[in-house]
Amino acid sequence: MRAEFTRIRTLPATWIALAVTLAANTLLGLLAATDTVRVATSDGQVAVSQLGTVMLAPVYAFLAVPVFAAGRELRISLLATPDRNRFLLAKLLASAGTTIVAAPVLLLPGLLVRHAAGSLPAEMTAYLLLGLVGGGFAVLTRTAVIPLAVLLALPVLVSPMLAGLLPGLVRLLPHEATLSFLGTSTGPALSRTAGFWVLLAWAVVFVGAAWVATVRRDS
Amino acid sequence: MIEISRLSKRYGAKTAVDDVSFSVRPGRVTGFLGPNGAGKSTTLRVLLGLDHPTSGTALIDGRRYRDLRHPLRTVGALLDGAGPVPERRAIDHLTWIAQSNRIPRRRVREVLDLVGLGDAAGQRVKKYSLGMGQRLGIAAALLGDPEILVLDEPVNGLDPDGIRWVRTFLREFAAGGRTVLLSSHLMTEMAETADEAVVIANGRIVARGSIEELTAGHASLETAFFALTEG
Repeated sequence: MRAEFTRIRTLPATWIALAVTLAANTLLGLLAATDTVRVATSDGQVAVSQLGTVMLAPVYAFLAVPVFAAGRELRISLLATPDRNRFLLAKLLASAGTTIVAAPVLLLPGLLVRHAAGSLPAEMTAYLLLGLVGGGFAVLTRTAVIPLAVLLALPVLVSPMLAGLLPGLVRLLPHEATLSFLGTSTGPALSRTAGFWVLLAWAVVFVGAAWVATVRRDS
Repeated sequence: MIEISRLSKRYGAKTAVDDVSFSVRPGRVTGFLGPNGAGKSTTLRVLLGLDHPTSGTALIDGRRYRDLRHPLRTVGALLDGAGPVPERRAIDHLTWIAQSNRIPRRRVREVLDLVGLGDAAGQRVKKYSLGMGQRLGIAAALLGDPEILVLDEPVNGLDPDGIRWVRTFLREFAAGGRTVLLSSHLMTEMAETADEAVVIANGRIVARGSIEELTAGHASLETAFFALTEG
């Protein structure tokens, strides 16, 4: 696991993703706290703080960390750790550990300026579970591009298109479940508890699928 | 010692390796020769635990590679497609590999100096030439001071000095009682480096023996190779 931490820490993309996430979270926190920017929606002018999708957007910059950590250097990692169970366990623990260490630093400044520090545990949980979804997805597809593209396309393209037609389905997507869990959904929402369980289920499904694929398939 | 026994590997309807058996003894450099698509890389991937065999075994000192807890201390490998992220510094690349197998950190500097990359240790790999990247791969293979080396095309991209360095190093490595399995399609180089060779074509072993035995009746190893693989 120490090797995985070193691998993540020495990747320049890690630090770029963390810097972008911190900057975006802090900027959004400032905009939300001062209410200097309002966004035109079909319901009229809405404060940034009320747009859950916008406030959650920085997590997609952060997702590059677990996704890049999981999807790259697969063959050399397997040569170093040929036991597939140990290999995946080390990757997941390192990815989760990185989130637990980094998330408070990334989230607190933005939360503090809008006097919402009490949301830190829920936001950290959301980062952790979405990170596991992204990491599992990257191991499954062995690329960084596909997981990032799909996870970003869900809230940007899929949810808006299907929200009116299939609201019951849309609220089960990872992004929408996260918004429900955080209590910031503006669309068809689940309860906060149900949102947590749905997001957890997504993490379990992606990590489980990655685990089965890693053990069974060739490199 | 490496022992491949009745190894087969199929991908769907395609048979990549078909009932292959051979052993690689300590104290010798053994070449693994074959045209592209003959099954060399597949055999090496199964040996190194990257692919599952359809049947048969590939053992290192009597054990599967996957059963070695710290495999890099037993086997050093250089394989195509097993390189670092280009944005990472060479020294960081070797550091995480060393940590993964509890190899002392001082070995990172030692192997970088050994392959002539000591002065470029802090550079990002994307700034390396092809030859420097190949030297870094060899450095990674040597990290655990292994008894066995498995190298797939190690002289690719190396300049004449680098090629001579690899040849001399492998000869000395084997002379110390260690085991070398060397895959290459550079016949002249193989003839000068290997003591013996295994030739594979269409997934099957077509010849094996000392370089002298294989080249007997032919002008060179290259003509012997073509006679064996095209005949």
